Amino acid sequence: MESQQHAPPVDPRPRFPAWVHRDGSEPDPRFSLANERTFLAWIRTCLALLASGVALEALALPLEPRLRLTASVLLLVLALLVPPLAWVHWGRTERAMRRGDPLPASTLTAALAVGLLVVAALVLVGLLVGS
Amino acid sequence: MSRSGRRNGGLAQPPSDPGKLRGMILDAGLQPERTELAWRRTVLALTLGGIVSLRILPPVIGAWGVAAGVGGTIAGVTLAVLAARRAAGVASSLRASRPLPPAGALLAGVALVAFLGAVVAAFAVAAIVAGR
Repeated sequence: MESQQHAPPVDPRPRFPAWVHRDGSEPDPRFSLANERTFLAWIRTCLALLASGVALEALALPLEPRLRLTASVLLLVLALLVPPLAWVHWGRTERAMRRGDPLPASTLTAALAVGLLVVAALVLVGLLVGS
Repeated sequence: MSRSGRRNGGLAQPPSDPGKLRGMILDAGLQPERTELAWRRTVLALTLGGIVSLRILPPVIGAWGVAAGVGGTIAGVTLAVLAARRAAGVASSLRASRPLPPAGALLAGVALVAFLGAVVAAFAVAAIVAGR
């Protein structure tokens, strides 16, 4: 409430979420748009992860069943993590640009890389062992 | 106020003739256009996910699958409309050198739809495995 009344004149409208827009000044719109596209790319990554997780089991691919289910569950866990983390990362990036701070490191890339490495190993071993 | 100078750095200045405003290129890097296309492929994927799940889910989780598929499709179409309105708002903000329209709520909605999609996918996989 109070922070909205004392908002800087450059941004009179109260904007959601407040923790992003509370302080700093409006960044270059090109950078905000790039930040938005990065978020959308993460959402499409999430959709690819969940489609892969469902496809492994729905199509009953000829993999060793336990390894296949483990890979599927791992893909779905990653798909569940990505949207909330991507939104928080969008907000932290926007806030850093408003304040002129360095951009935050992505918490998602390392988890995604490790997770997909494990999934690839599970699928490979599962294929070699076979159903 | 160096920041206000930085705010529109690199953006095309509005032409003196108002008739040229509508078709003018707002940014040499085509940032608004690229963002609009990113929105389109994202909402296209979300909407297609809703439609495809109408085919896949009902045999697996029954009426819940129909509800999830219809809900996902409606959410995808709704987001497509909101994204198109946002693209128009972004273009008019850039033309007028105003701050961009707020994105936080719309992005939160997209994240929520994707998250719920992942939840439904997890239930579907659980049902598929349990049904074997």
